[in-house]
Amino acid sequence: MFMFDAVVLAQILWTGLATSSYMVLFTIAFALVLKVVKLWNFAQAGLMAIAFYAMFAAVNQFQWPTVVAVAFGLLVTLAASLAFEIYGLRTLRARRTSSLMFFIFTLVCSEFAAYALTFIFGTEPAPLFAQIVSPVRILAGIAVSDWDLLAVAVTLVLTIGLALYLRLAREGQFMVAVADNADLAELYGINAKRAFGAAFAIASVFICAGMYLYGARTAVIPTTSLQLMLFAVIATLLGGMGNVFGAAFAAVALSLVQSYSVLVIPSRWQGLIVYAFLFITILFFPRGVNTSGWATRLRVRRAPAS
Amino acid sequence: MDYLYSILILVGIYVVLASSFNLIIGNAGLVSIAHPIFFALGAYTAGLTAIHFGLHAIVATLAGAVVAALFSLMMSLPSLRVSGDYLMITSIGFQLGLLQVIKNVEFTGSQGGLSNIPTPVTGPYRGLVYSVVSLAIAAAVVWMIRWIVRGPYGRAITAMRDDELAFLALGRDAMRIKIVIFAVGCGLAGIAGGLYAFYYQYVSPEQFEILASAAMLTMVVVGGMGSTLGPVVGAVLLIALPQAITFLELPPGIMAPLQGMLFTLLVIVFMFIRPQGLISPEGPTPLPGHRHGNRSGPR
Repeated sequence: MFMFDAVVLAQILWTGLATSSYMVLFTIAFALVLKVVKLWNFAQAGLMAIAFYAMFAAVNQFQWPTVVAVAFGLLVTLAASLAFEIYGLRTLRARRTSSLMFFIFTLVCSEFAAYALTFIFGTEPAPLFAQIVSPVRILAGIAVSDWDLLAVAVTLVLTIGLALYLRLAREGQFMVAVADNADLAELYGINAKRAFGAAFAIASVFICAGMYLYGARTAVIPTTSLQLMLFAVIATLLGGMGNVFGAAFAAVALSLVQSYSVLVIPSRWQGLIVYAFLFITILFFPRGVNTSGWATRLRVRRAPAS
Repeated sequence: MDYLYSILILVGIYVVLASSFNLIIGNAGLVSIAHPIFFALGAYTAGLTAIHFGLHAIVATLAGAVVAALFSLMMSLPSLRVSGDYLMITSIGFQLGLLQVIKNVEFTGSQGGLSNIPTPVTGPYRGLVYSVVSLAIAAAVVWMIRWIVRGPYGRAITAMRDDELAFLALGRDAMRIKIVIFAVGCGLAGIAGGLYAFYYQYVSPEQFEILASAAMLTMVVVGGMGSTLGPVVGAVLLIALPQAITFLELPPGIMAPLQGMLFTLLVIVFMFIRPQGLISPEGPTPLPGHRHGNRSGPR
């Protein structure tokens, strides 16, 4: 039975947009590292779990205020990601290790983090706060919670901040240069290692913000982050490798498709949609859904023969 | 004694899994980590055919191998168009997507798993019979893989792995080799699945998640990727090693993550201290894990 009630559709749209917020943050973190470091960073799942449990410990065990807990979570995530880059990836890069070994290393680091956190915190699902329901107001028939507003605001601020940083800040421009051609950038005196570190640092901010939003609404176990990261991987593929903001749009679109799918398929099958998209993307759009690519091909076809 | 038998059976099963996984990832250089799903397909097919059709364990296990091989075609035929990172991500999606299906359909037992799988052997010698069968299958699989990789077909696989462009330029069909290797490796994982289902008489979807991929990867990396005996050593070591902790008699909530930490830490240590694994691959050809030049990883 299809439901075409405008309010219902608008409600799904709003909830879908709000829910996509943390997915957008995870996707940007993943896509940024892929763009700059050229690494499919599966260790992101581990970093996500570390971020959540650092905040969880600060809130529930140390009884710290939320702002301090988030700052602590960010500090721990930052330390973990920089340690991963400096002591792990740099060594493998120096040895010119293959993609396969990089992949194994990132995956195993993620697994290690999950096991270590399970060892410390157990497997009992836990939200960040005891109270996960936030106050709701009705606007034009649509239920809008405080969490929704916070999630959308945080995502917008961070995404716009990143766009401005990459466009206007000197370090941001260096990062883009390294992403385009690291060897050439180094010839111009840009420190590629510093750019890699900066990419991981920015990714940590997005990861921490995303896990705060996710954990404030849903209970988490140490392996939850792997599923969330896979969504980010698919959105990154859909958005086109190297296109950070394209990936963010893909994450929103994917979230909305998942949200609207409840109208036509049982909710238990919702998770399968992501995998269906993964297959379709890899088979038909291995370079992502990129209109600029089509435009380039058109220009090439129209160019006169020399 | 039952405890010793159960370890021997697990060693046999994991030798088959690690060796067949090594054939795909180490010998053919196909970066897929979906091996546990083919193990699951073998286990579920064997269990379901035995429960619903009363098939004998041997026939049901072979059916499991065939189903696993056929499903490998479902993944390899479309996704081998792409390679490297894309293949790896497709394999993760294939594994988790199929597990999602298994968890949501009723005839597989859904989340609760498939139980009451009939066992063909009962009585006091059950453990002994299963250990002998398991170890015999493991030995046969290792011998078969050794025979494949040391023969002309193995040389073709190595050539394809090391330089696919040159291999294609010689007029060889790389795609066919990849599909065959995938089917053989996954079919062998299906046999291991059948063995597992009939011994434990119970399978559940969470046994085949990404953590299982990490365990198999660990066995291959620690043992030595690309060498025939490496995965055998890796499997034996990584099944035996955690048993040492079991004598500490820690609660399961602590034991499982502790074993996992041990597994993963071992891989990390090996990657930095001895990247070629305990047993180096035979022959002078470089391995995917240690290749220099144009196919090296991120800068």
